[in-house]
Amino acid sequence: MARLRTAFERLLESILIFLMVALTVVVVVAVIYRKAGASFAWYDEVASIMLAWVTYYGAALAALKRAHIGFDGILMAAPLPWRLWLAALAELCVIGFFVVLAWTGMQVLYVLEGDTLVSLPQVSVQWTQSVIPIGAVLFIICELTSLPAYWRRLRAGPVDPDGDDADRDTPPPEPAR
Amino acid sequence: MTLILMLVGLIALIAINVPIGIALAVVAVVAMVLTQGVYILPNVALVMFDGATNFPLLAIPMFILAGAIMNSSGISRRLIAFSSALLGFIRGGLAMVNIAVSLFFAEISGSAVADVAATGSILIPAMKRRGYPRAFAAAVTSSSASLAIIIPPSIPMILYGVMSDSSVVQLFVAGVIPGVLGGFAMMLLSYWFARRYQWPVEEIFQLARLWQTFKEAAWAFLLPVIILGSIFGGIVTATEGAGLAVAAALVIGGLIYRELDLRFLRVAIVEGGVQTAVVMILVAASALVGVYLTEQQVPQKLAAAILTLTENRYAVLAILNVFFLVIGLFLHSAAAIILVVPVVMPLINAVGIDPVHFGLVVTLNLAIGQQTPPVASVLITACSIAKADIWEVSKMNISFICTLFAILMLVTYVPAVPMSLVELFYG
Repeated sequence: MARLRTAFERLLESILIFLMVALTVVVVVAVIYRKAGASFAWYDEVASIMLAWVTYYGAALAALKRAHIGFDGILMAAPLPWRLWLAALAELCVIGFFVVLAWTGMQVLYVLEGDTLVSLPQVSVQWTQSVIPIGAVLFIICELTSLPAYWRRLRAGPVDPDGDDADRDTPPPEPAR
Repeated sequence: MTLILMLVGLIALIAINVPIGIALAVVAVVAMVLTQGVYILPNVALVMFDGATNFPLLAIPMFILAGAIMNSSGISRRLIAFSSALLGFIRGGLAMVNIAVSLFFAEISGSAVADVAATGSILIPAMKRRGYPRAFAAAVTSSSASLAIIIPPSIPMILYGVMSDSSVVQLFVAGVIPGVLGGFAMMLLSYWFARRYQWPVEEIFQLARLWQTFKEAAWAFLLPVIILGSIFGGIVTATEGAGLAVAAALVIGGLIYRELDLRFLRVAIVEGGVQTAVVMILVAASALVGVYLTEQQVPQKLAAAILTLTENRYAVLAILNVFFLVIGLFLHSAAAIILVVPVVMPLINAVGIDPVHFGLVVTLNLAIGQQTPPVASVLITACSIAKADIWEVSKMNISFICTLFAILMLVTYVPAVPMSLVELFYG
């Protein structure tokens, strides 16, 4: 199970690195071409879509690392049986939302059949929008994969911030500020 | 009634640790279904996609990546060596070096957490070795990194610019004077601490050493010149400037200094991607809420309600300062901007406050929020690096937070401080 989780994490990391590097290359090359008097018509549209792809593949990886912006102070302060019940409710809400997103994302893909990008008619909108149902399913898998460790942390209760965390040599991943 | 239920539901979901972005999306979906029926559901997928394709926000991953490259290619180390040669002869000089490097680093990365990770991992251990208390080392690193988010480029400013539909470039320009003033104030404070506790001087001032370290760091100094010069000069947009920052950092770190640590860079790119995604999910979910709030004209109703209390712009700013300081205790800056700014903008416009001026007020409030537990990501990162007790650091940090607060008051009630450069360039 641990090996599968690591392999899945590596796969998502590789996709994210590819998207981040590709996005940077597109932006830099587009600036150079624009300054040379030959702007790409597709630049804005493609770069924006790539940002959406970074968002959903990255969000799945963030779910695996439990790195989404949240506030666990109140939950951790709750007594044990309540803490677990409330956490289960929270997990249901998160997974429920992504089930809805995957389902509506699939419906939208059927509706968009035959549509293409404005600036690149050879690229199907179905392909670019596929990130919504795929990203939603990946998110659910990541949420469930990271659940056992989260559950153990919930059972263990609040950790002294100057204990385990303070012993880390490198800071944890944090949201952009 | 639906709106009150939405607010209660949102608070309840956040309280049970549903990620804020997803909590926003859940309450928006429930409100949409309750008021418009289930046939509206396919809109959820469309809005969640469109919300994440916000072109100006492309600058966020680019600036994070530039900071990561800078941090993994020896640029930070050279900046520290130069600052040490320049300021190290003053008592408490290492604390001043910390502040100076934070401000400089901010000119490339735009992220306070990246700033703390880059400078703190080198300077906090160095300060501890030289006899500075670890709580002070963490406090000065943390506060100067938060001050740095008002120095361009700044990710919170990019988010504010998009959410308030105001010029990101003008926001960047407006941050320069308050940022530099705050930096000098923090250096003076460090000097006062150093005199009081007899902390050491770092090194004797030597012109030859200054010249040597300047030559080694000269390419790094070109980075902000390229980035800010091209953005302020109107040659590129903020987004394109972020792309240039990555390219310039790669050329300087990889080709000129030849110290690019690819393994470190890989980790940094993944962390940068995750940080971007975490913010962008919030942005996409806020688009979903925005559809509902706009239909219900909530921002306009809120503006009308506050305007019945007062129409004085400074009183409105005081109310909003208190509000942002309180939510800064509990929310990350990105979440606070995304949740609150679209709702209060009609009020800001109604009382005639310049959105760029208000942007500086918001950013400074949230810089203070990064230093105030329980939710204080920058402070916690600094404590983690220093292996210091968060409450001990917070006690030491009070004077630095007061400095940030003094700058906030100056920016709020003397608009000329942030706006004079904006008037000069764009008036």
